[in-house]
Amino acid sequence: MGLQPIEFVETKGDIVRNCPGTKHHICCGYKTIDLVEGCILSCSYCILKEYINTPNIKINSDIPYILSQISEAIDAEKTHILRFGTGELSDSLAIDRRYRLNQPLVEFFGETKKAILELKSKWAQIDHLTPFLNPYIVISFSLAPQRIIDKEEKRTSPLYKRLKALRKAQESGCFVGLHLDPVIIYDGFEKDYEYLIGDIGRIIDLKRVLWVSLGLLRFPPKLFNRFLDENRKNLLYGEFVRGEDGKYRYVKKERVRIYGMLYNLLKEQEKDLFIYLCMERKDIWRSVTGMTPEDNEALMGLFDSRIKTLYGGIL
Amino acid sequence: MQTIPIERINMNDRRFCISYPLQDDALLSSIRMEGVIQPLLILDKQPHTIVSGFKRIEAAKELGFTDIPCFVMDMDYKKAMQASIHSNLGRVLNIIEKAYCVDKLFTMDFSEEEISGVMSMISLGFYEKIIKRMRALANAENFVKDFVLQKNMTMQNVEKLLGFADHEIKDITEMLNRIHTTESMMREILQMLSIMKLKYGNIDFSAIKGMNNIYDLKRSLKYSINPILSGLEEDLSEIKNKCALPPSIDIKVDPFFEKEYIDIRIRANGPEEVKGALLKINSILDAGYIRSIFGLTTY
Repeated sequence: MGLQPIEFVETKGDIVRNCPGTKHHICCGYKTIDLVEGCILSCSYCILKEYINTPNIKINSDIPYILSQISEAIDAEKTHILRFGTGELSDSLAIDRRYRLNQPLVEFFGETKKAILELKSKWAQIDHLTPFLNPYIVISFSLAPQRIIDKEEKRTSPLYKRLKALRKAQESGCFVGLHLDPVIIYDGFEKDYEYLIGDIGRIIDLKRVLWVSLGLLRFPPKLFNRFLDENRKNLLYGEFVRGEDGKYRYVKKERVRIYGMLYNLLKEQEKDLFIYLCMERKDIWRSVTGMTPEDNEALMGLFDSRIKTLYGGIL
Repeated sequence: MQTIPIERINMNDRRFCISYPLQDDALLSSIRMEGVIQPLLILDKQPHTIVSGFKRIEAAKELGFTDIPCFVMDMDYKKAMQASIHSNLGRVLNIIEKAYCVDKLFTMDFSEEEISGVMSMISLGFYEKIIKRMRALANAENFVKDFVLQKNMTMQNVEKLLGFADHEIKDITEMLNRIHTTESMMREILQMLSIMKLKYGNIDFSAIKGMNNIYDLKRSLKYSINPILSGLEEDLSEIKNKCALPPSIDIKVDPFFEKEYIDIRIRANGPEEVKGALLKINSILDAGYIRSIFGLTTY
């Protein structure tokens, strides 16, 4: 760990941006904060490898500027409850214990009480943050069967540590988020996911899960050849087609089947879970969830309702 | 310059040879008519080692010549290798010859700077990936080199081909030797074979070996690696057959069955033909065929 050079920068311009989402698919209107660019973890399927052209990890150290950008975004939004995250160009927690980057943001959201900050990670170290956690922070982990973590998510925390960290976050008074993303088709994946969801239900209080995202593996064309060169059997086991956004995705018939299976397994654990599909088509939403968000705006409305239900009047 | 008996030249010592293949019909005709005009370059030792002129001596021997004009030089191996390469730079080197240059320079411990200089002269970048590919190609079996030249393969496809095991390369080259392919078709086929190998651990050549047509081969490979998509295509084709559409009507479905909508195209030369086409569309709508097509894209 920590072999990549760390560079402190003071980038001006748009640090807070709309999550780019993807064309022709429904996206959730998330706001990203580019606090860190680059990642010390090494997930084989990571698209950052295609987008970030340097091995360096860049930390944006101008915290007052970042906070002012977040403030501006919150003030400009009149309709929805904004959800921010720092996990778009990096892992939110991987280098946080060492550099304490999130603490001022966590305190800021706790004081502002107008929006939510999600810290999304595969690195289960939150002890340094727990004294500062507040209800406006959502600790989220990307979850996958241990078999995938071993093979495709090098340097990340094992599943049991991620689940324990989620439990700890709940005990500190936070809501948590679960991201089953990317879900990877491999020989026997159905059973592994069944066990995974069983473990989630046993360890976490599902009543205090703010959201669960489901996203099947998808990637830009360049990564296809990389997976082939690296003999990534797990990643290329399923059947892929090029989606309307140009990315490779599993064939739609499979996506519907697998989303349906995961959705039902999760709902069996807790019927009130709010489960959304990350970057999926309208018809898949309809057949999997029965909900038909017509566009991004409609999905943002669903998030608003979910937040209002769990937070009552405090947001 | 001297005239040297061919039997005093070691034709098996090819350490400085970068030519491939050595058989050259045009050169053979020329030597038959005019003899060897350009002398060979050989080392002053017994038996003589050829530095340049491997194709010429091959042709001369085939034509029954007993001796051949040569420049006999005294130089160390590195100088001889450089002389061999530089004497060939006046012509366009094929990919195998370039591979030989790179491999031999590494084998003879030339410095990185010297190798990089030669690679630049033969239009190759001095990158680890390229060096690795080139050295693998230089050391491949002759049937692979012949296949690469015959199909005029790009470096990208060569790399894909060499990624297979030796016995698979043999089967692949035998199979593709019988089929006319373009560069992009070759890329597609090699990619499908790589996926098949990755997914199933091996390639079932028994199912594809006898195929003489690129389209049958592609269909068969696609069925193996994309069974769901192939199944959907078959279902669509079956429904369209049942529809018995005239040439003036076409129903188009997204090739990946992603988009929820379908396109129905009518080509008409006047209102009557439009009316006829609409009647036909109505009839297939009533028969439930349109619904069946939507069933392939929407769940």
